[in-house]
Amino acid sequence: MKQAIPYSSGTAWAPRSDDGGAINGGRQPVEPTGMAARCAASGGDIRRMVEENRVVVVGRRGCCMVHVVRSLLLGQGVNPTVCEVGEDADEAALIGELPTEMVARCGGDGGAHLRRQGMALPAVFVGGRLVGGLDRLMAVHISGELVPILKQAGALWL
Amino acid sequence: MHLVINWIAFSEEIFVTIYRANIFFKLTVHFQVCRRTIYSVLVIPISNSSRAGSFCMSPNSMSSASAQFATSRRIGIYEPNRQISMWGDSFKADSSQNTGASTIVEADAKHDNRLGDIPLESPGPSKKYDQEANKPADKVLRRLAQNREAARKSRLRKKAYVQQLESSRLKLSQLEQELEHAKQQGVYVGGHLGDSSLGLSGTVNSGVAAFEMEYGHWVEEQNRQTGELRAALQAHVSDIELRMLVESGMSHYDNLFHIKAIAAKSDVFYLMSGMWKTPAERFFLWIGGFRPSELLKVLSPQLEPLTEQQVVAVCNLQQSSQQAEDALSQGMDKLQQTLAETLTSDPLGASGVATYMGQMANAMGKLEGLVNFVNQADHLRQQTLQQMYKILTTRQAARGLLVLGDYFQRLRALSSLWTARPHEPA
Repeated sequence: MKQAIPYSSGTAWAPRSDDGGAINGGRQPVEPTGMAARCAASGGDIRRMVEENRVVVVGRRGCCMVHVVRSLLLGQGVNPTVCEVGEDADEAALIGELPTEMVARCGGDGGAHLRRQGMALPAVFVGGRLVGGLDRLMAVHISGELVPILKQAGALWL
Repeated sequence: MHLVINWIAFSEEIFVTIYRANIFFKLTVHFQVCRRTIYSVLVIPISNSSRAGSFCMSPNSMSSASAQFATSRRIGIYEPNRQISMWGDSFKADSSQNTGASTIVEADAKHDNRLGDIPLESPGPSKKYDQEANKPADKVLRRLAQNREAARKSRLRKKAYVQQLESSRLKLSQLEQELEHAKQQGVYVGGHLGDSSLGLSGTVNSGVAAFEMEYGHWVEEQNRQTGELRAALQAHVSDIELRMLVESGMSHYDNLFHIKAIAAKSDVFYLMSGMWKTPAERFFLWIGGFRPSELLKVLSPQLEPLTEQQVVAVCNLQQSSQQAEDALSQGMDKLQQTLAETLTSDPLGASGVATYMGQMANAMGKLEGLVNFVNQADHLRQQTLQQMYKILTTRQAARGLLVLGDYFQRLRALSSLWTARPHEPA
């Protein structure tokens, strides 16, 4: 049974290594290429992904904000690893399983309030540390701090 | 049916009184006087009321005689039970020409003592008197009946008229309410008429109405502040005063995003439709508001002279905001795509109600994501403004706010002109 899909899903989803690392040559034009790595929905898995990859985006399955975050990061020239959690995953539980230093935001508090109210999804981790949700990412991006953060984490070199 | 016919026969006429007719009947009265006159058949319909009628006929007017009835109240009601033939006999018995009424009355009295008060009518002149007394009586009775009828009709008409008045009154108050509402919208959306009210669906929820009111206030305050900035810059006031103006301007924009966030929770589609903005503003609509990059394009040429550092910073800001806009736009496209996918299915397929409901629930969840998008877009606008404020000096920021305020004023003025332009109605 063929389903009518108005947009062609014909953009090539070429499999890439799920190294959330850098693309040589600096910035690249924004394109929705790159395979989103799917991981299971537990805190342990997230921890592992964050430790192993430089840029990780954690989001709910089917959430379109994840797409926004990805597009933004791709525009900067990084290819983030996307970690999808289940739609009814508890944010507070997820964040509880992460070590403190991961959650302590760069330049922010010790993540205490995050532990209380849970992580806003989608969440971005750069260099093993939590950057924040989409608003934080936007703010950081507009103020021009995003690129230095990425460079510092080794996710982006010139 | 009780019928009593009293007739007093004269040489000229017969006076017949009919009492207490209860039902419709035809009365055939056939009189024959031994004298010369022959009275023809008379057919009299009697209505089913308990009134008695009396009529008077004369041989001369026989052909044109019409039945007339009037109430018998004045005449009195007689007990019935007389037979016509009896009278005929008694009449024949007194066939003298001069007998007149009294004779007959006496005859009646002789023959029937059961009769109650019979009006003793004297012969001769009394005959005439009877005639006339009964003619006006008839006329009066007739007029009374007509009056009753007319009164009844006019009561009905009045009732209908009053009902019509009531319904018109209700309709008028409804229209007035609608007009008031439309006027409010017109006033608060930069003075342009009715466009926004036409765009709204029939049920305007309170969140939307509250937002419209607040936005109206916001625009008024914005215009006031723009005027203040213009005056201050022209008067070359000190930096400290300018700083105060700039800060109040910035917090005013924060207010806008705040009320928009509340409205987004209430009705996100309304916000995204831009119906709360004027038409020309709507042309530039992007996710429920202005594009930050457009804003910067309007601002940059008016801010010179800028230092090199500032130029670079502005350039970077322009680029970042453009990238963020693109990311959000792509997210919106993705949302559209997934929503469309959620809703499509084979209409001829045997998917049950559960599948349908599941699809709908899914789609509902997707739609709720729109609120997030509007919030993120507003957040981007706010961040862009804040960043500009950081880059610029106080004086430059004051000038920037003035430029922005003036630009939006012009857009709104353009909308008013456009709406008011003379054109042929479609």
